[in-house]
Amino acid sequence: MVSQRMTEPTIFRFNAERRDIVDEVVTRVLAESKDPLLLLNDAAYHEIKRLESHPGDERELLGNFKNLARSLGRMGDGERQGRLEQLARMYAWDIAGNFNPKVYRFASRILPSLVGGLLSPLQTLAGGGPDMALREHLVTQGPVGDIARLAQLGTLVFVPTHLSNFDSVVFGYGLEREQLPPATYGAGKNLFTNPLLSYFMHNLGAYRVDRRIRHQLYKNVLKAYSSVLIERGYHSLFFPGGTRSRSGGVEEKLKLGLAGTGIEAMIRTAMRGRPQKVFFVPATINYQLTLESRTLVEDWLAEQGRARYIIQDDESTQLERVLTLVRKLLLTEGSIVLRFGDPLDPFGNRVTADGRSIDRHGRTVDPLSYAQRDGKLVLDATRDAQYTRELGESICEAYRRDTVLMSTHIVAAAAFEKLREAYPRLDLFGLLRHRDEVFVPRAELSRAVGELRDRARELEDRGETVLGPGVRRRGATELLDEAVRAWSGYHSLPVLIAQGDGYLLSDLKLLLYYQNRLVVSGLGYSQVRGRGATTSGGASRGPEGAV
Amino acid sequence: MSAITVGILGGGRWGYALGRAAVNAGNRAIVCTRRDGDPCPEGVEVTRDLHVLGARATLIVLAVPSTVARPVATALGEHVSGAHYIVHAVRGLSSEGLLPISTVVRQETPVKRVGALAGPVLASDLLEDRPSVLAVGSRYPEVLECTQRAFGSASLRVSVSDDLLGTEWASALVGALLVGVGYGRVAGVREPLLAGVMVRALREVCAVGVAAGAEERTFYGLAGIGDLMAAMAQNDARPEALFGERIARGEHIRAVREDMDVRLEPIELVPRVLAFAKARGITMPVFSALDAIMSGKATVEQITAQLMRP
Repeated sequence: MVSQRMTEPTIFRFNAERRDIVDEVVTRVLAESKDPLLLLNDAAYHEIKRLESHPGDERELLGNFKNLARSLGRMGDGERQGRLEQLARMYAWDIAGNFNPKVYRFASRILPSLVGGLLSPLQTLAGGGPDMALREHLVTQGPVGDIARLAQLGTLVFVPTHLSNFDSVVFGYGLEREQLPPATYGAGKNLFTNPLLSYFMHNLGAYRVDRRIRHQLYKNVLKAYSSVLIERGYHSLFFPGGTRSRSGGVEEKLKLGLAGTGIEAMIRTAMRGRPQKVFFVPATINYQLTLESRTLVEDWLAEQGRARYIIQDDESTQLERVLTLVRKLLLTEGSIVLRFGDPLDPFGNRVTADGRSIDRHGRTVDPLSYAQRDGKLVLDATRDAQYTRELGESICEAYRRDTVLMSTHIVAAAAFEKLREAYPRLDLFGLLRHRDEVFVPRAELSRAVGELRDRARELEDRGETVLGPGVRRRGATELLDEAVRAWSGYHSLPVLIAQGDGYLLSDLKLLLYYQNRLVVSGLGYSQVRGRGATTSGGASRGPEGAV
Repeated sequence: MSAITVGILGGGRWGYALGRAAVNAGNRAIVCTRRDGDPCPEGVEVTRDLHVLGARATLIVLAVPSTVARPVATALGEHVSGAHYIVHAVRGLSSEGLLPISTVVRQETPVKRVGALAGPVLASDLLEDRPSVLAVGSRYPEVLECTQRAFGSASLRVSVSDDLLGTEWASALVGALLVGVGYGRVAGVREPLLAGVMVRALREVCAVGVAAGAEERTFYGLAGIGDLMAAMAQNDARPEALFGERIARGEHIRAVREDMDVRLEPIELVPRVLAFAKARGITMPVFSALDAIMSGKATVEQITAQLMRP
C-alpha cells in the first residue's frame, strides 16, 4: 500500500546505496580522526574488557583486539591508519541496516492486523476487523498534512517522548496510517536477538546500536552513519530521552544524542552546495495505561530516594500483563494518543508548511545563517553542541504543550492531592508509607477531579496542554469511573479500592506514576518543584536551607 | 587581523564608552541612539537608523536599561539575521520574573548567538583610555572571540566565560550589593565589618545563582567578586554605590531615584530575588537587610544588630 500523498520514500533505495553509505561513513570517520593511536588504544581497551566478560561466539574478535593492543606501539602511521579503516568498516557494516521493499509491503499489510490483533485479540477472534479496533483505540493528532509536505522538501527527524516498549510499534503504525513515510531508527542490538522481530527490523531499515560498545571510534562511526542517512534524505526516528521515562512524566531535559546529527547533516550538505533541509518533528505518545508502569516507577523511586527506598519485587508475568493491558485499553476509545507537534528546524525555529523557518515574531529566517562565521559556512562541534542543547529545550517545550492528559492522569493527581492534604507535613517518601490509610468519599474525589479538569481546561485554552478524547466535556464522576475501571484488574493490585461510598487510596506509587504526567504543566505534585510552581528561569537544583 | 565594525545600541555614557573601547582596539564603532546631548567620543560614528547597525555590524551590543530591553530588542529583530551576534551590557535581569536579558534577546530577535558583558570596568576609564578589564559570557565560542576582537586592546583586557547565565546573575546581584557598599561606607561601617558582610553576601548570591542554574565559579570571577572588590576600593563609585551613599545620608529614596539620571536596577531586583530565594528555601540575611535599607524600613543600628547575630 503506497500512499498517494508521497512519492516513493527514500528508504526504498537503501540497499542500492548501502555500500556507498558505508564507504562515506568510513571516509568521514578517518578524515576526522586526528589521533589514530589514541582511538585504536581506546577501542582495544574497551573491546577486550567487554569481550573478556562475555566472550560467547566472539572469541576470534577478542584475539584480534589482544593482538592489536600488543602490536600498536610498533606500528608505523600507515599501518595504524589501515587498522583504523578496517575497524571503522567493520563497525559501519555492523550498524548498517537493510531495507527490503517486499518485506515492507508485506509488513504494512499485516502490521495493522498484527498490532490490531495485539491490542484487540478478542475482536480478532470474533472476526471483527482488527484494523477497525486499532483505529478506534489509537488517535493521531497534529499537523499531519504539513508534515507530509515537509517530507517532500527535506529529511524528517521524528523525536517522540518515550514511555513504553509499545512506543516504536505505535509510532510506526501511526506513520503508516497517516500516510507518512516510514522512518529508519537505531534499535538496541539486544532487540535483534528475537528472530521474528529481528527479521522485520533488519529488513525495514532499522540500524543496530550496540550499547555495550563504549569507545570513541564506535561512537564516531554511529554519529557519522546517522548524519549520512539524514544528509541523504532518510527520514529518521530517535527517542531523544534515551530510555523510557521512569517517573511517568514527560521529558523535561534532553541530551538528544544522535538526533543532534541533524544540525551537522544540514550544514554539511550546504557546504557541498546541495543543502538538504532537516525538519525535527516532536511528538508525544500518550497512554491511558502504561504496560511497564510499576517497574518503571519503582526504578525511579529507587533512584530518587537512593538509600531510603527499598525495591520490593512484585512482578507478574509479562504475557499476562500484556493481555490484561490489551483488554483494558479496549474499554476506552482513544486510549492511546499519538500527537505530532509543530515541526522545527535544527535550531529550534518553527517551520511553516512550505519549509520556511520563522522566528517567534513570524519573520522568515535562513537556518543556514546560524552556521555562518565571518560570512562563511563552518562546522564547529562546540557551537553545534550548544545549538543542539537549545533545540532540546525547544523540543521539551513542545512536549509540554502537546502532553495529552487522560482520565487516569487527572484522577491520579486529584487522589494524590487528597493524600497530601491528609499528611501535609510529609515528603514524598513519607507519603508513600501511608498505603490503604486514606479514605476519600466519592463525592469529594469527584469534586477534586472536576476542579483539576477545569484548571487543565484553562491551560488547554491557552495552548499549554491537551485534554484527551472526551476528557474536556465529560462529567467529573464519569472520568473518575473510567479511570477506576481502567486500573482495576489491569494492575496486579488495586490503585483505588472502592469501599462503601468512597475509595481507599491504595497503590500510592501508581497514583504517583500517573499523576507525574501533570507535573510538566504545573498541575501535578512535584517534590522538587512544589505544586503548581512555574518555571522562573532555571533548574530547580541547588542547596536547601540557610547559607 | 582586519578591523571589524561593532554596533552599539544605546547612546548613554556606557554605550559611548564601549564605542570608544572598540575604536581603541583598532575597530570601527557605530552607536545607534535617539538621544541628543551626550558627547560622542572621537572616532565613533552615530546613527539613528537600526537598519544601518544591522547591515554594517555582525556584533551588536545592547546597552539600554533592562526595562526597555524587550521593546528595543523587538525593534532590532527586524534588522538582524541568524548570522549576527548580540551581546548585552545590562547589569540586571528582566523585570518579568527573573529572566536573563539574553533570553529576552533570543525571544525577540532571530539571533541565537548571544552573550553578556560584565565586570568592574567604569565608563570613565574607557572614555579616557585608562587600562581596565571587561568580562564577557557566552555559550558560543565565536561570540567570545568576536567580543575579544572588538574590545580587547593594550588598555582593555577582555576575559571570557562560557557560563552566560552565571555572568548575568553575578553581574546583576553583585550590582545590588554595591548599594550596600556605598551605604555602609557613609553610615560609618568600618572596613573589616563591611568586608565580613560582603563575604557573607557573596555566599548568599552564589547559592541563589546556583539554584537558578548558574555555575558557582562565575561568582568568584570578574563578573562577581571582581566587581565587588573594585567597588570596595574605589571612590569614583558606580551609580549603585552612589545611590547607597545618598540613602545613608538620609536623602529620600524617591528623590534620589529621580535625581540620578541612570536606571538603578537593584531597586526592583532585590525584592524579586528574595522571593525567588524564599521559594527555594534559601535564606539571604544580607539581601534582606538591603531590602530594608532601600525601602527605608531600618536604621543602620538595627541592621548591624541583626547581622551581628550568630
